[in-house]
Amino acid sequence: MTELEAGRAETLVPGRGVTTVWERYRDILIALIAFAVLASLPLFTGSKALLDFVIRCSAYGLFATSLNLLVGYTGLTSFGHGMFFGLGAYSFGLIMQRLGVPIPIAFVATLAITAVVAAVIGAICVRLKEIYFAFVTLAFQMLIHSTILSWASFTGGDQGLRGGIPRPVFLGVDLSNHIHLYVASCALLILGLLAMRQIAQSPFGYTLRMIRDNAARASFLGIDVWRAKLTIFVLAALFASMGGMVMALFVSGAYPEFAYWTISGEGIFINMLGGVSTFLGPMVGTVLLLLLNDTVTRFTEYHGIVLGIVILFFALGLRKGLLDFVAEWFAHRREAGEGR
Amino acid sequence: MDLDALAGCLSSSACLVTQTTSGLIIGMLLFLVAVGLTLIFGVLKVVNFSHGAFYMFGAYFAMTAYQLTGSFALAMLCGAAGTAILGLIFERVFMSRVYGADVLMQLLVCYAFVLIFDDVVRIIWGPEFRSMGMPAAFQVMPLFIAGGVVPPYYLLLIGVALAAAVVLGIGLSRSRIGKVIRAAAHNPGMVSALGINTGLIYGGVFALGGMLAGLAGALAAPVRSLTPGMGFSVLIESFIVTVIGGMGSILGALIGALLLGLIRSFGSLGFPLFTEGLMYLFMVIVLVSKPTGLFGKEAA
Amino acid sequence: MLQIRNLAKSFGGVKATNDVTLDFPDGSLTAVIGPNGAGKSTFFNLITGALRPDAGQVLLDGVDLAGRSPPEIVRHGIGRAFQVASIFRSLTVQETMLAAVSADQRTSAVLHKRFPLPETRDRAEHVMELLGLAGKRNRTAATLSHGDQKLLDIALALVLEPKVLLLDEPTAGMGPEERWRMIDKVRELWESQKITVVFIEHDMDIVFKIAPKIVVLCYGRILATGTPDEIRNNSAVIEAYLGTEHAGAAA
Repeated sequence: MTELEAGRAETLVPGRGVTTVWERYRDILIALIAFAVLASLPLFTGSKALLDFVIRCSAYGLFATSLNLLVGYTGLTSFGHGMFFGLGAYSFGLIMQRLGVPIPIAFVATLAITAVVAAVIGAICVRLKEIYFAFVTLAFQMLIHSTILSWASFTGGDQGLRGGIPRPVFLGVDLSNHIHLYVASCALLILGLLAMRQIAQSPFGYTLRMIRDNAARASFLGIDVWRAKLTIFVLAALFASMGGMVMALFVSGAYPEFAYWTISGEGIFINMLGGVSTFLGPMVGTVLLLLLNDTVTRFTEYHGIVLGIVILFFALGLRKGLLDFVAEWFAHRREAGEGR
Repeated sequence: MDLDALAGCLSSSACLVTQTTSGLIIGMLLFLVAVGLTLIFGVLKVVNFSHGAFYMFGAYFAMTAYQLTGSFALAMLCGAAGTAILGLIFERVFMSRVYGADVLMQLLVCYAFVLIFDDVVRIIWGPEFRSMGMPAAFQVMPLFIAGGVVPPYYLLLIGVALAAAVVLGIGLSRSRIGKVIRAAAHNPGMVSALGINTGLIYGGVFALGGMLAGLAGALAAPVRSLTPGMGFSVLIESFIVTVIGGMGSILGALIGALLLGLIRSFGSLGFPLFTEGLMYLFMVIVLVSKPTGLFGKEAA
Repeated sequence: MLQIRNLAKSFGGVKATNDVTLDFPDGSLTAVIGPNGAGKSTFFNLITGALRPDAGQVLLDGVDLAGRSPPEIVRHGIGRAFQVASIFRSLTVQETMLAAVSADQRTSAVLHKRFPLPETRDRAEHVMELLGLAGKRNRTAATLSHGDQKLLDIALALVLEPKVLLLDEPTAGMGPEERWRMIDKVRELWESQKITVVFIEHDMDIVFKIAPKIVVLCYGRILATGTPDEIRNNSAVIEAYLGTEHAGAAA
């Protein structure tokens, strides 16, 4: 590695330096401000399209950021993370349709189901390394997708869960009201991001970074690598499942596409677009991709070509995600400034 | 689940023959696509996610050539040669820029081309289903083997694919070029130090892989309907084949493809809705018990 | 006290470690030497759990650790550094130290607090001072010089406060001057920390000058053990070791 590359590597670390108590409250402060801004949006605009856009960003943002916990922080490239997005949407939808419990109970129950499924699948997958881990997660994803398609009596098969998901009022929160749903989605997004940020900045988050950099060395420090990988696999699945639930609430249903591998593909793509070396990279990527999708589909029916060219620009031109690019640019400027 | 149908078929020779042939057809087409995938991975260490597009282009090229000339042989040639050239250009202009980069970057470039190629096909040939039709030479009475119906075209298809497998196997193990390719797979630095142009080899391997997928598409054109995006399910399945057989192993690709073809044709009787699920289940079992695939080498 | 009893490991018929029995008393400093392929690194790998021995015991204060996993063995107090510095490239020196202390204090799975935990600071600080890395605390490991990366690797082992420290060629890949600085550091650590140190070394001048006790391995067997003087005058060693490699290296 040359000096130049080495200098660049330095900027690739999320959360530089040693954090203080202040930083923790800073994150909470930023989260509160972000929530206040998002939640007050309906006061200034009546645009349903804009609010819908934010809801979709919440669903995908939770999913993509949780994928980054695996890909960016732990170095586990999962091609099947979307299975938990689908699992969340279906479990939540089915519980609401069949049991008619209050929404928070269905929410918690879905998380519990996700945790169990993720623990079983994860226990099998995290033994495998690199590309084989990617393959086996993809296979599990497709297995779940096939199960949803073939178990039509339970899941509705290729038609998906239809007939709408009941959204009973709970403590005055009525999620069938668009504004309520919007605020609830924003709250889930912010809470989810805050929780994931805490994971990333906890001692466990640094354990993950160690495993990403050098798993063998980590085990010679007394770290049980398998257990740490399984833990983050399950945790990331929970947040992906949350994203799926937001999506299910938004479309009032669940469809096999939610569990298809393309969801995982989009998640990876979002991460590449936004960048995996910063915590908010995937969030930026989510907004970029959804904006891109929406605008391109409006202007041309051949959006594959446009999207493809944009991807090529990122992959061959920038060679990194947008936020990675910005972070490095700042770092270089700072270095140049110090050099003088 | 319909296990009675499966049991019934297994006890009837006619059904057995029919299902086995259809399994072989699926398997052979998959093999042609998968062997290119596995070759490209073996030599270039790239998972060519856009490989299904070559299958698709092969089919469309063959259809157009057939419609223009009426010659089936020319249609096959066009399908194979056209995709070979496409593969060469794709590798030299785009893929060669991301060697050594993050695997995700390589996947992303391929993903971009999956999107682009599908739209290109949509623009040139239209979004609707197209069909090439069975060439006149093969519109003859089907053969009856042990009571099972076997269209003659199926025999041709299996024969051509088998011939390709044999030529490829012998070519790689005996010929000078084959040796260079295997050496490049093993140690690219050494090969280029010996004054051999690795860029040429890489391009060549990509062209070869593209050609095989194109040939598969051309062979499939008379018996399948053509549509933009048709490469995708084939890609996923041949991907499973290479993972099961072992990335980089040609024999593994052959065995994996035949296994998958048979799982598909017999699975569709016993588990009509879960046929795909069976394939993935099989893949999970293989990966968990032997991550490098049935014929893959253990990672050093 | 670290006691090795009849330790054995073969790779496809080749005996990489062949019936090795050795004692490393508490607070001793021992050099392991031997020609290339003598089985020195394999010996370390067997002790630390990177490889599972075919037979034999690794007793640390009477507890048999043979065949246990690396994390378990580390927790019992055997730390190691590697021939090629094995570090966390994207972490800073300070983060590396703090995270390692966290691992040792079994707080590496803590989710609800922020990194670093206050109780990890003192130990991390102490070891950084000890190895002269405190001034480079905010440097990313990947940007450190080769020598500093080796020091960081040793610091990683040391910060766990091991009873026994195994150093696989601490001076590998260094220039002559740097080698002496490194080995002086090792000796200084040994003296100040009162721990058992075993190190593999190729440079004979260093070995004979520094190590009170030397173990010579050859084809997986112990050829000789003793003080530098005893080893220097051991005819088997001269023939098997100095006769071949040393002559070759000198030429």
